[in-house]
Amino acid sequence: MKRRLRFVLAAAGVAVAALWAVTGATARTTSSSSILIDGSTETVTNIDPAGNYDYGTATVDYMIFNRLLASGPGTNLAPHPELATKCSSVGGLATWACDLRKGVEFSNGDPFTSTDVKFSFDRTIKIKDPSGISSLISNLKSVTTSGPYRVVFHLGHPQSTWPNVLTTTSGSMIVDHKVYPADKILPSTSPQVGTGPYILSKYTPGQQAVFTPNPHYWGPKPANGGVIINYYKESSTMKLALEKGEIDMAFDAFAPNDLTSLQKEKSVTVYVGAGAGIRYLVMDVGAQAKKLGVPTDNLAVRQAIAYLMPRQDIATRVYHGQVKPLYSMVAAGLPGHIDAFKTVYGAAPNPAKAKAVLQQAGVSTPIALTIWYTPSHYGPASADEFAEIQRALDASGLFKITLKSAEWSQYVNTLGTTKGVFQLGWFPDYVDPEDYINPFYPKGQFLQNGYDNPKMDALAIKEEGAKTQEDRLAIVEQEQMLAAKDVPIVPYWQNSMVAVAHTDVKGIRSTLDPTYIMRFWLISK
Amino acid sequence: MSGSSTSLKTYALTRLALVVPMVLILLTLVFLLMRVAPGNPIAAALGGHVAPSVIKQITHQLGYDKPLYVQYGNYLWGILHGNLGKTITDRRPVSSIIVENGGATLELTVAAGLVAIVVGVVVGLLAGRFRDSWIDVGGRLFGIVAYAMPVFFLGFLGQLLFGVWLGWLPTSGQASPITQAFLPIHTHILIIDAIWAHNWGALWDVIKHLILPATTLGIVIGGVFIRLVRVNVIRSLKDDYVEAARARGIGERSVVYRHAFRNALVPVVTIVGLQMALLLGGAILTEETFNWPGIGSTLVTYLENRDYAGVQGIVVVFALAVVVASLVIDFVNAFVDPRIRY
Amino acid sequence: MAVATATPRGIRRRLVGPGLRRLWSPVAETQGLARVMFVTGATITLFFLVLAFFARWIAPYGFTQYQAHGHRFAQLAHPSAHHLMGTTVESDDVLSRVVWGAQTELKVVFLALVLSLLAGVPLGLVSGYFSGWLDRILVLVMDALFAFPPLLLAIVIAFLLGSTVSSGVVTAAIAITATYVPQYFRVVRNHVISVREETYVEAARALGARPFTIISRYVFFNVVQNVPVIATLNAADAILTLAGLGFLGYGVQPTQAAEWGYDVQRALSDATNGIWWTGLFPGLAIVLLVAGLTLLGEGLNETLNPVLRRRRFGRIDFGPIAPGEEERT
Repeated sequence: MKRRLRFVLAAAGVAVAALWAVTGATARTTSSSSILIDGSTETVTNIDPAGNYDYGTATVDYMIFNRLLASGPGTNLAPHPELATKCSSVGGLATWACDLRKGVEFSNGDPFTSTDVKFSFDRTIKIKDPSGISSLISNLKSVTTSGPYRVVFHLGHPQSTWPNVLTTTSGSMIVDHKVYPADKILPSTSPQVGTGPYILSKYTPGQQAVFTPNPHYWGPKPANGGVIINYYKESSTMKLALEKGEIDMAFDAFAPNDLTSLQKEKSVTVYVGAGAGIRYLVMDVGAQAKKLGVPTDNLAVRQAIAYLMPRQDIATRVYHGQVKPLYSMVAAGLPGHIDAFKTVYGAAPNPAKAKAVLQQAGVSTPIALTIWYTPSHYGPASADEFAEIQRALDASGLFKITLKSAEWSQYVNTLGTTKGVFQLGWFPDYVDPEDYINPFYPKGQFLQNGYDNPKMDALAIKEEGAKTQEDRLAIVEQEQMLAAKDVPIVPYWQNSMVAVAHTDVKGIRSTLDPTYIMRFWLISK
Repeated sequence: MSGSSTSLKTYALTRLALVVPMVLILLTLVFLLMRVAPGNPIAAALGGHVAPSVIKQITHQLGYDKPLYVQYGNYLWGILHGNLGKTITDRRPVSSIIVENGGATLELTVAAGLVAIVVGVVVGLLAGRFRDSWIDVGGRLFGIVAYAMPVFFLGFLGQLLFGVWLGWLPTSGQASPITQAFLPIHTHILIIDAIWAHNWGALWDVIKHLILPATTLGIVIGGVFIRLVRVNVIRSLKDDYVEAARARGIGERSVVYRHAFRNALVPVVTIVGLQMALLLGGAILTEETFNWPGIGSTLVTYLENRDYAGVQGIVVVFALAVVVASLVIDFVNAFVDPRIRY
Repeated sequence: MAVATATPRGIRRRLVGPGLRRLWSPVAETQGLARVMFVTGATITLFFLVLAFFARWIAPYGFTQYQAHGHRFAQLAHPSAHHLMGTTVESDDVLSRVVWGAQTELKVVFLALVLSLLAGVPLGLVSGYFSGWLDRILVLVMDALFAFPPLLLAIVIAFLLGSTVSSGVVTAAIAITATYVPQYFRVVRNHVISVREETYVEAARALGARPFTIISRYVFFNVVQNVPVIATLNAADAILTLAGLGFLGYGVQPTQAAEWGYDVQRALSDATNGIWWTGLFPGLAIVLLVAGLTLLGEGLNETLNPVLRRRRFGRIDFGPIAPGEEERT
């Protein structure tokens, strides 16, 4: 029996070696075809545009659907035609009419008309999906069609930035009215029909999305023969896959250490472009702060924190320069952005001023404070980030910080009602300063931190109704200064749009811009 | 328990009948635990974008604010109709998760189980046969260290050695992206699917991806097997019939291999069954380490997102799998070993 | 064993002495390989116990200490004279985290064991001795819990308790307890059932002793001999479960204490960047401690398990053979 066993083992060994030689070792398996393989650590929820409000799913939607108006690529950030050739206000900023592009077909051959547009908006509002996507068009009262190539939007109150809303993924992503149900979400595994450059030919939830070019597409042919997006749970796994050539490129998101190490590799190029995501620290104020018993009710305490925020340390030590210090809630690079916090509090941490402002207000130090963060939703570096903040505040001798963390699902449930000082990130729906101010400062914002300043509310109304861009941006600057003086929130960094690819992949730079949309149809290899 | 022996049929029926209350208890336990904890799946999905009034309204819309017993009743009713529900975060029917991701986990656990059996049985047999020799010492030490290794640490070392430094094996996923995109999938057990499609390149690719995770998990579990097999071998070598065979003049080698080993391996079935729970638990960590798209890593994601439906469905399936497996093991054992009584 | 004729207090004293001696005798009787395993295991375990108890004096720095004497430690520094095992991405000293981690692991495991014993043993005793419907229900519930993959159960409990219980150590301990109570319950109950039929127990019952007396005086010590082996093997398992919890991010939070599993998880991405020391040392620590505890348990098992037991025999001297007597065998 032993002899037989030995023989079997030897035969098996030979067979394995032979197979190996025949099929080759792990050489770059993807170089031959023109199909682009991308890696991502994002997650995909519902592909139906009426059912998702997250970045990972939006990336998929951009491949297979079109919006009425588009923003970007590059510096072309103002809304410009996509499925609509022209959108303008009609008699006041509460009514907008759009002319639609003629001769467009869906991927199944159905013609694109105003019926589809009205249908898409109506169903988004009707379905009112738990993801909250319908809240983006909360200002829309009704949509009417005027012939097959014209739609009219009737808003609740005047809004000069309505065209910006039309560049978002809500309602404006047009679906085929013959395929999608009017009152519920089409499951992600059913065939999706849109007018975009690709068709989703295969979707394995949590693993892979395969795109092939749409033969009915009205625009220029994509620069590649198809795209495969591979989903990874960990940045390090994705990095290994990229290095081994299993994927051609990776976008969103690498951990800072992985990115630094990739920058040293010769076989891949790291592309860094302007980003639009921000990170900020929220503090409870007013009645809310009193209820929780946190000292941030006192303006001096908040100002001290603003004086001590170690933006540069976080950017360099934790993120290795992959994020930039941010001095306003409005992202840098956007029209109307001013470094309000730099003006009011200085560029670098200033412990002396912090001490002075606390002394003047008669606050006894060190102040005991609990700061919350969430360990994985915003990436694993959050723990390091907040360790830096804690160290900076403690080192000044003015604070004694306790750090607490909670998983995202619990964390986001109560925000300001249970946490006095906490971490949050923001990613814009559309690239305009309004989208960086209105969600946070006017009354009724989701932070629940108790901030309520009638002056800010008044500015917001003025801004929405402003007649010219110049007027509007002037008001936006005023809002930023007020935000810095009241300081219920301290912004501290802004990210960059980063993609890493093998050296033979071209076209990535053209799609790196604050809209943060990876336009795979522009990329080739 | 008076210990009277009963017929096999009665034993089988009793054990089967006990499965139902066991599963019910598990279901209820998980249901209660998930509901009682703080945190809300709606809020998790909405993610800091919308006002609390909207969250409240949608919670009501989906029925998560109904009284607990109403939700529980609805859930049980649904299960009886074969409807395990849909996940909240990505609206996948739980049954399709079990089929799609379960296939991947099955592939991993079966392969790992095979490795574990081979490792455990071979080393255990040798260690028991040559008791107290250096083979025994080496084998037992290997077993202890193998089990002492956290599976994610061994995986980490394996990825480092074979994936990064030597570059021989892929370090994540069930198959390379191209293979996964173009292989027609029927069972989600990619080895079977590749054979079905006669795609030998794909088969080799899938096997390459399976080697590291299966071997990692297999070695760790095999460490436990070594101990159990060894004890059994020692026990059977002491048995009277072995002594009798020796007395009859049968050669030592024949005695050992033909008589002792065969009888020592009978409880292997039991051993495998007992380790099912261990295998499934280890699968969770292995899947996380190797980005394996199985039920374990899916479960971890749903836990983080407070996806009640997803977690409930998966946990129940896990438990059911262990219950059914141990049931089968017990039947086989009862059939084979007349000493077992209920 | 002396018959119960004297006063209760006298009995207790007379039972405790021999009882404890009976507990220790297996250790004294180990021989050969079993003894080697036992001694090795005990040494390793003792080493980690010392690390845990005296962490404050052994560890060069605190577990979240990122600076000393005014200047910050380097990030991800190679092992060197200042940092024998290098530093982490947060500029913490790896050696210190390993030492403090020993304290965390042993704290959690000890707490979990105590809780499991407190819950499982009495339940097993009562259930096994009294039988009836209570026994059936308990067996059903325990079997159901036993069916759960232990890591899964621990994850769910740690996850749920994590928000209400502030101490991560307690959370992890409770999570691990839930997975071990069924084991102790089962073992104790089975042993009680077999002991219950022994003649001396029957005799005690015939003499009119109350159930509690019988359990505590006769059954308990008999049954409890099994526990040390299981306890050490369970301790080994518990450390793996705790590391698994830490790896997934549940249980002990990084701000509260150093934990080896969490460190390995953070180190996974370091590995792909060529940084091996942040993961290797905590990982080796886990392997060493678990192996040590297992060796300890296996060594004990070799002597306590009648199948494997080989007692140490002294030489028997029969004395010189008198002339005329035949050879004595």
